[in-house]
Amino acid sequence: MKKIWRVPLIIRGEVIDEGVVEFGGRRGGATFTTPEVGKHLEQLALDRPSRMADLYSLSFDDIAEYLGRLGERLNLDTNPHMQEAYELSRLTSGLSDSILRNHYENIPHFFRPEVARESAENFVGIDYLEGWVPQVSKVNPALTVKVRAFGARAVHVIAGNSPGVAAQTVLRNAITRSDAIIKTPSNDPLTAAAMARTMIEMAPDHPLTRHLSVAYWKGGDTKIEEILYHPKRIEKIIAWGGFASISHITRYLQPGIDLITLDPKHSATIIDSDAFADETTLRHVARRLALDVGAMNQEGCVCARVVYVVSGTDAKGLEKLNQLGKLTFEALQALPSHLSTPHKAFDPELKSELDGLRFAGDEYKMFGGRSNEGAVIVSQSDAPVDFSRLLSGRVCNLVPIDALDEAVLSVNSYTQTIGLFPESLKDRLRDRLAYQGAQRLVSLGGAATLFATAAPQDGIEPVRRMCKWIVDESASAELLEGLALAPDATAAAA
Amino acid sequence: MTSLSAQLRADPTSFVEAPYDEAFNFSREELDEIHLHGLQKRFNELRPRLAVLDALAKEQGIEHINHVDDAVPLLFPHTVYKSYPLSLLERSRFDRLTHWLAGMTTTDLSGVDASGVQTIDDWIALIEKTTEIQLLHTSGTTGKLSFIPRTRRQWDDTVRITANSLRDWHGAGAGPDVLKNHMPLVIPAYRYGASSSHRGVDRMVRMYAGGDDNALFLYPGAYYSADVASLAGRLKAAEARGEQGKLQLSPALLARREEFAVREGDRPEQMRRFFESAVERYAGKDVILFAVWPILFEWAEAGLARGLRNVFGPNSVLITGGGSKGRVLPDNYRQQIFDFIGFSRYYEYYSMSEIMAGCPRCDEGNFHIPPTMVPYVLDPETGEPMPRSGTHTGRFGLMDLLPDSYWGGLITGDEVTLSGWDEPCACGRHGPYLHSTIGRFSEKQGGDDKINCAGAPEAHDKAIDYLLQQTQG
Repeated sequence: MKKIWRVPLIIRGEVIDEGVVEFGGRRGGATFTTPEVGKHLEQLALDRPSRMADLYSLSFDDIAEYLGRLGERLNLDTNPHMQEAYELSRLTSGLSDSILRNHYENIPHFFRPEVARESAENFVGIDYLEGWVPQVSKVNPALTVKVRAFGARAVHVIAGNSPGVAAQTVLRNAITRSDAIIKTPSNDPLTAAAMARTMIEMAPDHPLTRHLSVAYWKGGDTKIEEILYHPKRIEKIIAWGGFASISHITRYLQPGIDLITLDPKHSATIIDSDAFADETTLRHVARRLALDVGAMNQEGCVCARVVYVVSGTDAKGLEKLNQLGKLTFEALQALPSHLSTPHKAFDPELKSELDGLRFAGDEYKMFGGRSNEGAVIVSQSDAPVDFSRLLSGRVCNLVPIDALDEAVLSVNSYTQTIGLFPESLKDRLRDRLAYQGAQRLVSLGGAATLFATAAPQDGIEPVRRMCKWIVDESASAELLEGLALAPDATAAAA
Repeated sequence: MTSLSAQLRADPTSFVEAPYDEAFNFSREELDEIHLHGLQKRFNELRPRLAVLDALAKEQGIEHINHVDDAVPLLFPHTVYKSYPLSLLERSRFDRLTHWLAGMTTTDLSGVDASGVQTIDDWIALIEKTTEIQLLHTSGTTGKLSFIPRTRRQWDDTVRITANSLRDWHGAGAGPDVLKNHMPLVIPAYRYGASSSHRGVDRMVRMYAGGDDNALFLYPGAYYSADVASLAGRLKAAEARGEQGKLQLSPALLARREEFAVREGDRPEQMRRFFESAVERYAGKDVILFAVWPILFEWAEAGLARGLRNVFGPNSVLITGGGSKGRVLPDNYRQQIFDFIGFSRYYEYYSMSEIMAGCPRCDEGNFHIPPTMVPYVLDPETGEPMPRSGTHTGRFGLMDLLPDSYWGGLITGDEVTLSGWDEPCACGRHGPYLHSTIGRFSEKQGGDDKINCAGAPEAHDKAIDYLLQQTQG
């Protein structure tokens, strides 16, 4: 009989595990049950904001120490909750087991005290999290302004393409002293819950444990969302994900709710003609490009899909580009298995597009694409394939161009990461790419392998925005009273 | 062996001469023979002249077809007739589009000089003027039109086979023989166009109605533009992804905005004129009505609102299909349509742009596959064919044996359940049939980005609105 997984509802330290509602996991791989979230909405929402106070009995050192202990307990080899989350993810995730395991094994590192400290410092500033920070003003020295970053009551609608998203959310919630309700996705309903359970076992009454809730409901369930997404109950919504999921959240927006969206994005690559300097360089470029395409099996929005190459569009240029295509495909096949493997659920819609390319005459050249091994499609003119939004499962499209301008103009606000080669291209293009809408520039090969944990995301600063920035302004009593008096009265008083 | 089965075995295109009902009485052995010989004939004749087929056969290592299932690796993906780069349309590179099309057909396109062509409509017209091909375009799955290189003779056959089915489907001579006794033709749509629902219309006017004097259209002088259909599809696909701002329009299309604007402004008046003429010319008379269900419903709703009921004669016929996909219709939509048109004799077909002769629906609700089509049910995961026995559900693959100038083998995007290999249908007909539960794989996988013909008019209107909003230059 098919296994039915139980996904608990966790409300601030309490585990409710009465699976009564059944859901099918994504990719048809798993079925799970959850409690009926609608019945627990009263407890799920923190409608008394004064209950945030206990978070302020903690120092940042306490938080870092707590996170460090938590990280040690999230070890996949010893933590049965994480093991269960991993087992379920093996069925629901687009990542192969070897890559997925690597992601789970990396989770403890997110919580190392030094990582938490650096994230807090770079994202927000620990002094702002710890106390009231005076703002120096030369313009108005009589006025003293102090600012402090407070946590907020937030719902996090998280993505499930990597378990790292759940880990990041738990971390960000703790360092900002916020109250999080994590709404998990059907392609990873257990990882956040496994972390919350571990926190309960480790420190059941700790304020950080008591300010994390984890729930699964079907995104768009108005019976739940109409009640929960209300300024009385939450202050922020942090939403990761697809166009549809974000569009349906926008209907709940009203004054008093701040929506922070980590929109669906795609990433691209720009390679200048330097790549063709000699055979060794070309191989080097192919390997780094293969990393950007293949790491995380191209399941991340950061992964490369359309690759613009200044090869020239004449016959000679195309020949060079086809060679890069061939080498990139070979490099893709040789990637280590903790980073990339043939995709376990290759998109059939993309497969029929790839099959169709064979009939496109001499418009495209394709390396691979027979089965689930991935593919490098080389356009033989300066236009990407028409199905570029479907590129996934380690399939990229090399597009020849004559000048960098063409690549720059193709970038828009849907573009997240751009991998660049050579390094000098950054200096030349960085500002222009930013004007166009690009949000992260990386050295070729770093798109899905370099993760600066403490850097802005999607062109915004989600962690800063998770905070409420509270201001304390002071001036002398005399100055303030003086404002109440007419100028002649001021003179008279003096 | 009956003489018809021997005849079809030797030449599938002779189906056009056949008593239609007899084609559904073959024994299993006769059908297997027609299928196998037809596959061999098409493969042997087309392979040397069709580079894409030859390349695929080489790659798959197929030299001979000894069994019906041997042809499965030779079925084309449903993306084949739209495998050209969209940028060719955006940049008006119709010379390269012609080159692409030439690879799909044995018809000689070397004399077509499309280098100065600016729009899809002009390109289609040029091909028609200079070759035997009367291109058919789809209404634009995922924003891209497929182009199918059907010839004049193939179009003649398609329209004649449909007429034969009207005559014989319910028994030899049980229906009207419209090729002999013309009937008025009423179509609540465009008079001209190259899309799947418009391309055959010209012949229907001539062969069924005996000329334009005996036909009525909602938009009598108008042409259903492929350029607008293409834009409609791209808009819908872009909207679904929230990327409307990314759309590129060709200057040639922008330049035609005036023309579209005039036509749009005239629409309510044309609808009024259409109803008036329908009543004035054909009230109580037997007609042939041709439209898909959702369009008929839209028309019936408007007609009923005007107080019109039982408009046509009781022995009229409706040729329809298309299901109700893409639009939510009320449960009693068919009754409302029948109340309005005044008759309920209809012929419904499961068909698609890529095939020449559709599958008529019987009183049991099943769609019967004519012997000129070799059906396959493919495992959606592996692509392997299911046995030709029992009942199976999977991806529908088919080889249409009728076309002799392009390859009729296709893997569709439809999920079907097929029966009829061992037992006849409850309606008495023999041979394979599809159950009425036909769905699209793309919808099953969560995405519904297909504009089917049912949704097309609405998408078409939206496209023109969009075009009108664009500032010139």
